[in-house]
Amino acid sequence: MAAAERGAARPTGDNRTSRRRRRRREHCLRTSGLAPLALPGQSARARGAGVEKAERRVASSSAGIRCVAYNNQSNRLAVSRTDGTVEIYNLSANYFQEKFFPGHESRATEALCWAKGQRLFSAGLNGEIIEYDLQALNIKYAMDAFGGPIWSMAASPSGSQLLVGCEDGSVKLFQITPDKIQFERNFDRQKSRILSLSWHPAGTHIASGSIDYISVFDVKSGSAIHRMLVDRQYMGVSKRKCIIWGVAFLSDGTVISVDSAGKVQFWDSATGTLVKNHLIANADVQSIAISEQEDSFVVGTAEGTVFHFQLVSVTSNSSEKQWVRTKPFQHHTHDVRAVAHSPTALISGGTDTHLIIRPLMEKVEVKNYDAALRKITFPHRRLVSCAKKKQLLLFQFARHLELWRLGCTVATGKNGDTLPLSKNADHLLHLKTKGPENIICSCISPCGSWIAYSTASRFFLYRLNYEHDNISLQRVAKMPAFLRSALQILFSDDSTKLFVASNQGSLHIIRLLEGSFKHLHTFQPHSGTVESMCLLAVSPDGNWLAASGTSAGVHVYNVKQLKLHCTVPAYNFPVTALAIAPSTNNLVIAHSDQQVFEYSIPDKQYTEWSRTIQKQGFHHLWLQRDTPITHISFHPKRPMHILLHDAYMFCIIDKSLPLPNDKTLLYNPLPPTNESDVIRRRTAHAFKISKKYKPLLFLDLLDERTLVAVERPLDDIIAQLPPPIKKKKFGT
Amino acid sequence: MVQLRPRPSRVPASASAMVDEGQPASEEEEEAEHGLLLGQPSSGAAAEPLEEDEEGDDELDDEAPEELTFASAQAEAKEEERRVRETVRRDKTLLKEKRKRREELFIEQKKRKLLPDTILEKLTTASQTSVKKSLGKLKEVNVQKDNEEREKGSDSKKAKKKVQKVQTVGQNKSYLAVRLKDQDLRDSRQEAAKAFIQNCLYGPGTNRTTVNKFLSLDNKRLPVKKAAAQFLNHTWGSQKKQNARRFKKRWMVKKMKTSKK
Repeated sequence: MAAAERGAARPTGDNRTSRRRRRRREHCLRTSGLAPLALPGQSARARGAGVEKAERRVASSSAGIRCVAYNNQSNRLAVSRTDGTVEIYNLSANYFQEKFFPGHESRATEALCWAKGQRLFSAGLNGEIIEYDLQALNIKYAMDAFGGPIWSMAASPSGSQLLVGCEDGSVKLFQITPDKIQFERNFDRQKSRILSLSWHPAGTHIASGSIDYISVFDVKSGSAIHRMLVDRQYMGVSKRKCIIWGVAFLSDGTVISVDSAGKVQFWDSATGTLVKNHLIANADVQSIAISEQEDSFVVGTAEGTVFHFQLVSVTSNSSEKQWVRTKPFQHHTHDVRAVAHSPTALISGGTDTHLIIRPLMEKVEVKNYDAALRKITFPHRRLVSCAKKKQLLLFQFARHLELWRLGCTVATGKNGDTLPLSKNADHLLHLKTKGPENIICSCISPCGSWIAYSTASRFFLYRLNYEHDNISLQRVAKMPAFLRSALQILFSDDSTKLFVASNQGSLHIIRLLEGSFKHLHTFQPHSGTVESMCLLAVSPDGNWLAASGTSAGVHVYNVKQLKLHCTVPAYNFPVTALAIAPSTNNLVIAHSDQQVFEYSIPDKQYTEWSRTIQKQGFHHLWLQRDTPITHISFHPKRPMHILLHDAYMFCIIDKSLPLPNDKTLLYNPLPPTNESDVIRRRTAHAFKISKKYKPLLFLDLLDERTLVAVERPLDDIIAQLPPPIKKKKFGT
Repeated sequence: MVQLRPRPSRVPASASAMVDEGQPASEEEEEAEHGLLLGQPSSGAAAEPLEEDEEGDDELDDEAPEELTFASAQAEAKEEERRVRETVRRDKTLLKEKRKRREELFIEQKKRKLLPDTILEKLTTASQTSVKKSLGKLKEVNVQKDNEEREKGSDSKKAKKKVQKVQTVGQNKSYLAVRLKDQDLRDSRQEAAKAFIQNCLYGPGTNRTTVNKFLSLDNKRLPVKKAAAQFLNHTWGSQKKQNARRFKKRWMVKKMKTSKK
């Protein structure tokens, strides 16, 4: 626990096992007898299993975090990124990203806040206040504030009013009505842009941070009471203007400001004077967040350090308290532009695209492994689709799609070798999206001749033709009116049908013909609220379609008869991956708390194996994994195997082998060959896990003898980021 | 007394002086001096005009300076002035003419550019009626906007935000003129805001380092020091490399041609 207190990272997938145990897990893959195949981008690595490793040095697929807003009632976190995407994380469901709103080219979000009744608002440099609809998963409306670019936004403590700080120096007050927001009045106009805002907990006063000064307003009259001038440098002179990046108002009238000179200052709003000055960094301090009890706050700096300040009593039994800087955390490498303070944790996000949630030891009640650091770096959904027959991979980025053909090799080798490529990977297609909106979802058909993707307002379907080595693309025009925006797209295994889950909750089935399409059926949304983004799975024989995402559970539809077949009972954690097995038609569901269920569709009940493992429970190390399972697939000839992966491992579950209990080793090392068969059989269990390829973005079975794995090295992500602050290290 | 340079005297040089140059030089000088005394122009009376002998420069140099009467000088000056005045007058008139011609030319061009008179008449009558209408519309819109809960910071913004439509002319109503200033205003503000934040965070005065240096920091502190993350700069000399490639291509082609021959 002391280690955790010191800020030690929760052993994530890559360093959870000790070095001794990191030897590769060959056994499982050797038994599967997969053969080597080529690797695009670098040489093939031959093992008993043939694995194609695809490394892509491409543009980063996730943007830096700009704002973070925590909602206490629902324990949810809204995160907005620099490309305009807004993601909602459910912190109680194992920090899973349940919903997201795609970005827009012109939207540069600068502020995000929750208001009364779970309403989410954002404001940005295009001057508009946007409200998000969390049920329909789209944008309700965008209202122009007529003040120029909006730099800051704050919701009143009662949640019924919204304050917006604009480029022209005006502070505007909006009233939140049940269906819209309404402009109420302007406060006194200031000389320079309003970069930060904060309400007094009683709702009577407002503090606003600008360039070189802080103003305190009276809400009733709208006039500025005090103007506190901020020194440009800590006890010095500087030419650079001092930008007040954040302000916070406490109920005793103290205003805390953080600015670009690296200072945290405490002001008395009644007299307008400086009370205390802390110089904590050489670079900007860019964000501040106060807890609800007002006894601690967190600030984030441009160097990547996050400082925790707490109100502690001066001596052990005195009633006088003072603010003391208690803990520094260095988990980020670039600017920390947003911080939030939940009752038990400090949340920070910055330009390095990581979201870090650091539970505070003194606030956490149950001190188990869950109270360690969480670092969310990789997307929680699948961004790569695979056309198995043609060996193509479709990569989804924010504003374009890329189609690659995998390379191949003719060399052979033994286990663990890296084989040279005979044919390199081919970049076949770079498809840019039309219009300013980002892509929500995309898919390629298994035969490789159809590509479909969707933005927030349009749906695109393309037909691909391959002649010898050339590829030609043809857009299918005139999409139907009901097919506007899709949350999930899936093609059937024989590529004749297209399944689209639209954001109104309905499910469309479209038959694909040569060059055109025909709408077959639409399943209307059933009862239940939308809990997370819809996931789809179709059975390889084309009879069954499973759809998740509502609070009612996973619905299974009969495609041939076009009606609802059954519903898997609801589980209180959202579904992260869904797949239907080929011959047995078992639906395998993975949830965000790392539970895996297997449901038999023809029998309409859970399978025996699923009941057994639920009774016994999963191994505790399995349940302590950080990242959700994003993809499940099956071997066509082996019905007892389930292949699933998350960001740091992939696992083949062999249902014929015994299940591990808490005492056995989950991550089995490679058993030495000289050990007897008896011991080998005793240590073998159903979960065969390999951590060879990480961080994994995608892993799938191409055919019986090949796997394809797409890795996303962290160094690649860092190389695409904007420059960090210079840190002088001794000896360099 | 001013030392004037020796001028050719009234007395012509004797033959003896022409032969013998040494002595007559001194004699001439003496004469020159004498001539000077005599030749000083009196302020009041009109002096006799000076005669200049232009027979020989040598002798002329030794002669007495010429007498320059005031009247002559005055007359000369007057002449000069008159001449100058005349030139100036002529220049002015010339300029005036030029300008006149240019004005006429411009007027003609303008006339050519303008629409024929008939349409202009229509325009003026139409504008009178529609100005009244548009004024009314603007008033309505103003009232509406005030009723709406929008209070503008300044009135100028109000005027700018409105889209002013130019009344369509005559029969063809196929175009609509919109003030581009309104559209540009919003984009330019957004651009200015982005530039401001870029300048604050990454502009001059901020202590930023490159990604390469950042990733190489660890390499430098290892027990066995490694090279930087991106050690080679492949963009160096790109123009030179491109030129070299092109030259090589051309040279190869030339070589092929000559070898074929």
